[in-house]
Amino acid sequence: MHRLAELRGRIDEIDLQLVRLLNVRAQLALEIGRIKHEAGEAVYQPAREAEVLAHVREVNSGPLDGGALTRLFERIIDENRRLERLADAARAIESKERGE
Amino acid sequence: MVVIMKERATEAQVQAVIAHLMDMGYDVHRSTGANQAVLGAVGDGTADTGLIEVQDGVDRVHRISVPYKLASRTFKPENTVITIDDVRIGGDEVIVMAGPCSAETEEQVEATAAAVKRAGAKILRGGAFKPRSSPYSFQGLGEVGLRMLRSAADRHGLKLITEVMEASQIDVISQYAHIYQVGARNMQNYSLLRELGKTRLPVMIKRGLSATVEEWLLSAEYVLAGGNMQVMLCERGIRTFESYMRNTFDISAIPVVQQLSHLPVIADPSHATGRRDKVAPMARAAVAAGADGLIIEVHCDPDRAKSDGAQSMFPAQFERLMAELRIIAPAIGRSMCVEPVARRGWSR
Repeated sequence: MHRLAELRGRIDEIDLQLVRLLNVRAQLALEIGRIKHEAGEAVYQPAREAEVLAHVREVNSGPLDGGALTRLFERIIDENRRLERLADAARAIESKERGE
Repeated sequence: MVVIMKERATEAQVQAVIAHLMDMGYDVHRSTGANQAVLGAVGDGTADTGLIEVQDGVDRVHRISVPYKLASRTFKPENTVITIDDVRIGGDEVIVMAGPCSAETEEQVEATAAAVKRAGAKILRGGAFKPRSSPYSFQGLGEVGLRMLRSAADRHGLKLITEVMEASQIDVISQYAHIYQVGARNMQNYSLLRELGKTRLPVMIKRGLSATVEEWLLSAEYVLAGGNMQVMLCERGIRTFESYMRNTFDISAIPVVQQLSHLPVIADPSHATGRRDKVAPMARAAVAAGADGLIIEVHCDPDRAKSDGAQSMFPAQFERLMAELRIIAPAIGRSMCVEPVARRGWSR
């Protein structure tokens, strides 16, 4: 029982790090979104998304297989894309209010 | 909506669909399976599933949300109750509307109103503007008929429901009626529905001859979207391959619509069957199925009626039916009006 509690404690610790890292990653995505916006580029960049997925599969050493990792990172990409879209929409409202 | 891509869809096709969904305002959740990609589109996008279905590489599209909003139970979980003075449609009591197909003469309207009141009806039905299948059939008495109907209704403490065929009749009808009826043939007359949305009298929308439940609810949506929240629906039979009866009475539509929508559902066994000997069984079935009300054609002298005589009940038949319904309604937890005191005294 002691061992189980210890392992669960470690999972909680890793989750904490994952949440921090996911948010750091999201911050970077938002920054990229801002740059894309200024350059007039679309939020959805399929080629880049494919690159990201290929990269995580490449560096993967298991036990999660490539398919599992793809699905997990698809979720992360989905959420970042949504975040970028919301930021884009907020910018659009702002510039409208400024009468641009 | 959920978009399922074909097994052999290329990456470029999947990407094109994602881009399209995003253009429509959706957030996209992509899930790549062993054989095919599944895209979940969430958010307040403009859902034209047809447009997505025809994209290259798309296998099928499932819509999750319904296209009607105000009419749906999601929007309003509790039942809508329409109150006209002391009459509550959509509450516990099963409300019966009865009367002639058309107003013909003072005497006919008066005799029929008296008979339906005696049997326990709460609302008088009757047409003054008639949408007949043939332009050579009796077309109704117009405002003269409305006046006859309203004064008979008032004399007997009944409310009045009458059909409005076009927007130009809305004003004159509002001076006489308590409820506008939109006929089956006008169910998709969207300009009329929009105008009725601007009024504040209750509206009963009959189901179109070949209308799906969804189309019917979308018609209600037109009125609701205009701000008139007092809408009820009326099942009156649909066209099927069966030709023995005039229409096929879709009793299942009653519980289906009550599940999808908060609006009261009325059943019209007269038009659903077209024959007076079939009206009573279908009326009993409709109440047992949970209808919030019935609308039944009754004529003081059906054999001489100028319209719909074959489906109009004799007053005595109607009275017997009402007595039967008073037994059925409590069995499913509903109530029916008790017989008026005057009637009980008279029958002894």
